[in-house]
Amino acid sequence: MPRPTPKTITFTIDGREVQAPENSMLVDAAKLGDVEIPVFCYEPKLGNPVGACRMCLVEIEGIPKLQTGCSTPVKDGMVVHTQSPRVKQAQEGVVEFLLLNHPLDCPVCDKGGECPLQDISFGWGAGTSRFVEEKRHFVKPVELSDHIAIDRERCIMCYRCVRYSQEISEDYELVIQERGAHSYIATFDGRPYDAPFSGNIIELCPVGALTSQPYRFKARPWDIEGSGTICTLCPSQCNVTLSVRDERVMRVLAREHPDVDDGWLCDRGRFAYPKLEEDRVTEPLLRDGGELRPVSWERALDEAASRLRRAGTRTGALAGGGTTNEEGLALARLMRDALGSPHIDSRPAGKLPLELHRALAEPSLQAKVPDLEFAHAVLILDCDPIADAPILDLRLRKGARRHGVKIVRAGREQLLDDAQRAALLEQLRSAGPAQGTSTDAEQAALEVVVLWHERLSAGSDGERAVRALLDLAATLGLSRIDGAGLLEITTHANGRGLREAGALPNAGPELSDVETQGLDAPGIAQALTDGELTALYLLDVDPTESDRERWVGAMERATSVIAHAPFLTEALREHSDVVFPAEAYPEKEGTVTHPDGRPQRVRRAVRHLGEVRDERQVLEELAARVTAAVRA
Amino acid sequence: MTKALLFKDIDEPGLTTLEVYKRRGGYESLRKALAMTPEQVLVELEASGLRGRGGAGFAMGKKVSFLPKGAIDKYLVCNADESEPGTFKDRELMQKSPHTLIEGIIIASYAAGANRSFIYIRGEYSRQADILDVALSEAREAGLVGEDILGSGHSLSLIVHRGAGAYICGEETGLLDSLEGKRGNPRLKPPFPANQGLYQGPTLINNVETLATVPTIIGMGGAEYAKLGTETSKGTKLVSISGHVQRPGNYEIELGIPAREIIYGLAGGPPEGRQVKCWFPGGSSSPVLLADDLDLPYDFDSMAKAGSMLGSGAIIVVDDSTPIIDVALKVARFYRHESCGKCTPCREGTNWTVKLLERIDRGDATPMDIEIIASECENIIGNCLCVLGDAMAMPIGSMIVKFREEFEAHLEATRARSDLGAIHA
Repeated sequence: MPRPTPKTITFTIDGREVQAPENSMLVDAAKLGDVEIPVFCYEPKLGNPVGACRMCLVEIEGIPKLQTGCSTPVKDGMVVHTQSPRVKQAQEGVVEFLLLNHPLDCPVCDKGGECPLQDISFGWGAGTSRFVEEKRHFVKPVELSDHIAIDRERCIMCYRCVRYSQEISEDYELVIQERGAHSYIATFDGRPYDAPFSGNIIELCPVGALTSQPYRFKARPWDIEGSGTICTLCPSQCNVTLSVRDERVMRVLAREHPDVDDGWLCDRGRFAYPKLEEDRVTEPLLRDGGELRPVSWERALDEAASRLRRAGTRTGALAGGGTTNEEGLALARLMRDALGSPHIDSRPAGKLPLELHRALAEPSLQAKVPDLEFAHAVLILDCDPIADAPILDLRLRKGARRHGVKIVRAGREQLLDDAQRAALLEQLRSAGPAQGTSTDAEQAALEVVVLWHERLSAGSDGERAVRALLDLAATLGLSRIDGAGLLEITTHANGRGLREAGALPNAGPELSDVETQGLDAPGIAQALTDGELTALYLLDVDPTESDRERWVGAMERATSVIAHAPFLTEALREHSDVVFPAEAYPEKEGTVTHPDGRPQRVRRAVRHLGEVRDERQVLEELAARVTAAVRA
Repeated sequence: MTKALLFKDIDEPGLTTLEVYKRRGGYESLRKALAMTPEQVLVELEASGLRGRGGAGFAMGKKVSFLPKGAIDKYLVCNADESEPGTFKDRELMQKSPHTLIEGIIIASYAAGANRSFIYIRGEYSRQADILDVALSEAREAGLVGEDILGSGHSLSLIVHRGAGAYICGEETGLLDSLEGKRGNPRLKPPFPANQGLYQGPTLINNVETLATVPTIIGMGGAEYAKLGTETSKGTKLVSISGHVQRPGNYEIELGIPAREIIYGLAGGPPEGRQVKCWFPGGSSSPVLLADDLDLPYDFDSMAKAGSMLGSGAIIVVDDSTPIIDVALKVARFYRHESCGKCTPCREGTNWTVKLLERIDRGDATPMDIEIIASECENIIGNCLCVLGDAMAMPIGSMIVKFREEFEAHLEATRARSDLGAIHA
């Protein structure tokens, strides 16, 4: 679908000529001339402006009434005044109106210090109040959910949260109750606001009305620092800012990246942080008398190195979780170079022929996240975005709502059955630019993005499914069309990066050829069960979580299980011999690769918990000890 | 003094029935219109100079011409919410002559190329809605509404939709949201309904009286109709007079006659021994005028020139027995109650105004509070999302200006009676 290509125009604001994209809203265009027009309700992420708060009133020559800058598209030659006495009076009036019933309890408000209402009152208000009546009262705070508290007295009724609920997350749970001065934000019937993306309203709120329950009264903006990193709890890899106080994560905020997350976070990503500190493995553990007991790093490294050395080529390794590219590379080196074992994998789905990996990684066939928003059709194949990569669910909704993207869902069976695949193709084509009368040229412009999950390639006919997928892509000419292509959601958060780092049984870094083909994940399990492999190295992954039956037996049979883990899962507690404490993502340093190929930087925001060490250094240390012993 | 076009046969027994309506010449204009092209009908409407009778006074023909041409779904919505205090002309029209409105809707839809229409009627008008429903089923049976009307090829569906009772649903975009089943909140304009209205489709919205005038215009011809009234306010107008007059009610007048003729001549003026203190020329949202303004011609431009507006043509007369603070409180409380709460100045400003007025009335105010009312009303006017805020701030503002001394005296008197005591004591 054609994407907006704005024309640049020139307009005048407060006496200076400014160039801006035509039809951009005045408040945005003004910024290009270093003019700030204050806003409360305006938030372009929420779609069309509503013009409710009236904070952005400006004077436009030729229009008698003041206009809302948030909803006035800028035109060539427009002359705008934001500092005239009329505008000033209106702005002061709006600030005064907003503060009439606002409690002004800034000293005890979480938002104080980072509050648009404070800032705008300071910058555009009169600084005094003429209101002496009793303020409006509500019961407060009210729990909107376990995550969010609402203070209705602080609310300025900007409707951002309601618009978000109705037009972005489309859960339709938030509504306005009552009318006029009595109106307030609520859930329809007082039930908890229970939705997968509810936490975003906390950040949208321009006052302290919506606060995070876990963060409430934990810190003030002047004693926290923001630290940008990537959330690696799922393959969405949203960009986040961690608010850090005294080396602890106090909260997680979105760090808007239009090509990745569009500025939203899922509730898991936003509210998981306290858990990242609880029940962590904070020191090396060694099995001693049937129990895992704390030991020194030296002892644990020694024990692990000697176990690995003994197993040598009979070692298998799996990587997953939030493992970075550098750690994946270090693991591959430990396996291939130090131990001489090719049995390394990062795909629970199992081995795919290298030619298929390469075909899938073909640059012209890659779709980017924003393509989901502008394609004619998106085929969601064997994938459940809300569970597999939640933030993409919002992107898909946005595309469907704003650009009419057709969403088609299908499973593996539809892809593999000829008749059903033909019907699927028909469905996709019907979303094309010129239905029915399409010429070849028009047909060629049909932009389809296939959003598929790694699980499509699992099992006995996984390879067949991938070939069918590539056929489908060829039939639709996806590699020839801009804005079309494939986007694979991997099982692990950095699945794509690990593959490209060479954590595959049949490929080295950058999908290069390897001399010896190794066993894939299911193969490693089988070989451990059969006694052909004796040691298992687990990097940030507990394979029983994806395939319990296969792996419980395998880990039981293994002579040595060495795990790098932030948490002790049941299987690790039962079966591992050496456990290294692993970093949670706020402690990590490195890079990850987004499913669409974008490398992203993970930066350390807090110091390591307890005795946790840099994972890559541990892997390199192990490799050194194994190699040194072999040479000795 | 009256000039009956719409109200020509209004008291004819049985006029609500199709039979009587037809006997009195009903649906002849429709036949005439369908024999013309839609463009010709539009030319007649534009020639008539008819201005919207709902309050804003926008040229009706021009509004029709704003609708995009071509074969797309277009809607016609009749605004029968009539919620402006003092206005009750549409009620009588619908109650006594429902077919006039239906005929007008059909002709207007033909001119606009709209095939779906709605009458959005306020919930309180249940009797009138019932009457419309009966008349509509008669019209449907007679083939006047439905597919291929009278063999013209023009089709129209018409539905009577009852509102749930909110002033804001008389605001055209609030009405559209309500009609779509949403909370009745006004929308940001642009886009205007002519481009994106009901269900995002081009929509023509007109008041009952405006649409009911259409058959008359087609019947007598636009040019002929335009001979009535003044240069910029053509035709006749239904005026609802209420308040302190001896003969309140609806009167049809030719636009441009002196207001005195309406208030004194038709409605009999205030009761014996009382004088006109002030009057609302166009519903409770119009700035008040004084007795000195009674000789002004009653038309759109004269009212605007005098600093008020003709609005819906609802004249409310207040005589000298009523303290102005009571009038102000009544008006302010109404708009506070009806503010939808969407935009800041209206939501907060109407509430604040009431509180300030209450304090004056309670004896708990200082002269500065009168200043504050004037200033915050100024901050409301023109700065709201829709005109509801203005609808309170304009009349209150006008009262403060025109009756300042009375407010001050009232403030002093109530203060003196209260614990606080008089300021200048």
